[in-house]
Amino acid sequence: MISVNKLVKRYGSGELELTVLRELTFTIDEGEFVAIVGPSGAGKSTLLYQLSLLDDPTEGTIHLGEIETSGLSEVEKTAFRLHNLGYVFQDYALLPELTALENVALPMLMQGMTLPEAEKQAREALSRTGLGDREQNLPSQLSGGQQQRVSIARAIAHAPRILFADEPTANLDSASARLVIESFLELHREGQTIIMVTHEEEYANMAHRVITLKDGTIVSDERQR
Amino acid sequence: MKVTVSQWKEFARAISVGWFLAVRQLRRAGKGTTSLIIFIMVLTFLNLVVVSGLLLGLISGSFIQFRESYSGEVIVTPAPQRDYIENSSELAAFLRDHPRVEAVSARYRVGGQVLGTLSDLPEKYERPNKVGARIVGIDPSDEEAVTGFSRFVMRGEGLVEGEEGYILIGSNLIKKYSSFADVYIPGLDLLNDVDVGKRVRVTITSAGGTTVSKDFIVKGVVKSKVDEVSTRMFITDRELKRLIPINKEQYQEIAVKMDYAYAPALVDEIEGFMGSSAALVQTTDEAIPSFLRDIETTMGILGNALSSIALVVAAITIFIVIFINAVTKRKFIGIMKGIGISPLAIESSYVFQAIFYGVAGSIIGLVLTFFVLKPYFNAYPINFPFSDGILVATPVGAMLRVGILMIVTLAAGYIPAKIIVRKNTLDSILGRQ
Repeated sequence: MISVNKLVKRYGSGELELTVLRELTFTIDEGEFVAIVGPSGAGKSTLLYQLSLLDDPTEGTIHLGEIETSGLSEVEKTAFRLHNLGYVFQDYALLPELTALENVALPMLMQGMTLPEAEKQAREALSRTGLGDREQNLPSQLSGGQQQRVSIARAIAHAPRILFADEPTANLDSASARLVIESFLELHREGQTIIMVTHEEEYANMAHRVITLKDGTIVSDERQR
Repeated sequence: MKVTVSQWKEFARAISVGWFLAVRQLRRAGKGTTSLIIFIMVLTFLNLVVVSGLLLGLISGSFIQFRESYSGEVIVTPAPQRDYIENSSELAAFLRDHPRVEAVSARYRVGGQVLGTLSDLPEKYERPNKVGARIVGIDPSDEEAVTGFSRFVMRGEGLVEGEEGYILIGSNLIKKYSSFADVYIPGLDLLNDVDVGKRVRVTITSAGGTTVSKDFIVKGVVKSKVDEVSTRMFITDRELKRLIPINKEQYQEIAVKMDYAYAPALVDEIEGFMGSSAALVQTTDEAIPSFLRDIETTMGILGNALSSIALVVAAITIFIVIFINAVTKRKFIGIMKGIGISPLAIESSYVFQAIFYGVAGSIIGLVLTFFVLKPYFNAYPINFPFSDGILVATPVGAMLRVGILMIVTLAAGYIPAKIIVRKNTLDSILGRQ
């Protein structure tokens, strides 16, 4: 499903040039739950940004399904993200003026659904993450864990092919973090492809596969079971 | 470039999402901030409409006073090089019988001199207490019907039909009341020590050189911002008719009060009735002195210049408001782009917000202009030396300015949103410069 070939990412130029990812090559199959781990500065988040089309690699190619992503324009990438990818950010990234329901419904409105259709689907997604009773709350009226679960609901409501999560438990207490990981495990059981960056070994070990990065290279790639 | 159906659908979808975002952002924005922005837009609108409207109103007020105090809607005066209106008695009768005419005031008008001090003759080196002025013979009740003449009497009383020996003097001819008394103007003579109850001597010299003099008691002083009242003297028409040596049945001015809109048609009718060379027949707008028209043009240019500045201020205000709004939400703009919301949808949400501020400001501005300020200035005009200034604001003119303001608002809302939305998505999400 995802095929990465000799992926390189450099920042800056000349003496200030910094190579963050060094000729990474790997594949991820449909339905896998992959945790990307490694110490700070290893290139975990940078790799996620390349895979999720939020940033462009310096060298190498990424195939998402049949699509070779370097050939896409910015507009095409935006449309591709809308229809195929879901995101869970470390700091939840909910729009403060929208209620939980509206935050979740927004990508589906962009896909062309009517407001009632999008809200119906958003309600179902919120119910799946245990927030059915909080749909009219603004983000500021929710706890960190609840906001992250709204963020997950937004990421999965439109049934993306791949779900990306960047340190989704970093700002949460352990109980909330566990709820988030359990949400991912349930989605994984339903066949959702998930790629999660985390520095927490406990949660990484719950994933189906763990890719460990160090200084921009893959030092291990292990399937858990 | 051909636009496909799917491109149109995408466009419509983006606009619809932009509307969805704008409505919610406005609904949940701080009420204080929103009110302040709308308040600024109201002031901008008022700057556009009211400032130029007041400038024009100062001069338009004088046009209205010219009409209401002197000319009526149609004024007939002698043709060039003539001393009187030909067949004026027949014309006055025609006008009085005309179904569209409300009132007619036919006036005699002659040049003359008024001596203010009758008892002491001046010394050799002294100038006599004397002024030259136009002396107008009026039928008090007809004049009242056309101009409401009694409202101009600032001292004493008005004339009564049939009475003789009394005169009303314009305030600008008497030193005590004249607006020019404290200014030295070469050749300008004013009457000293003349007031209500004093006796003055009027001397009329005809074209043939015949001189007629008569003493009058000053019955009142009349004041208006229209020179045709405040620099003239008035006696009854019967008395003036007796004093004029020739052309006793020929008037010099006929003012007609009627429906303003019908005035041009009446001018045509009068010219048809008496021929176009028998008199100068004008609507009040045509009779307005050209220097006032020049002032009107100048005021219009000045008003437009001020409006242009107001427009620039409005554009900058909206630009700053939207730019700050977008900059502070740069991270969320990045997130929206990250989850697939199209740049057009995000930009249009800011444009809708800018339009909301523009529309709200314009609506409140329109209400204030037409339901508060215009009635207020009509009731309490600005006391300007040569007019009572009103607020000139027409619905068409105001809507034109609303249109201009909305175009400026659209541009000023779109450009800053575009600047922020075009930034790199990841940089926006991560807050990188």
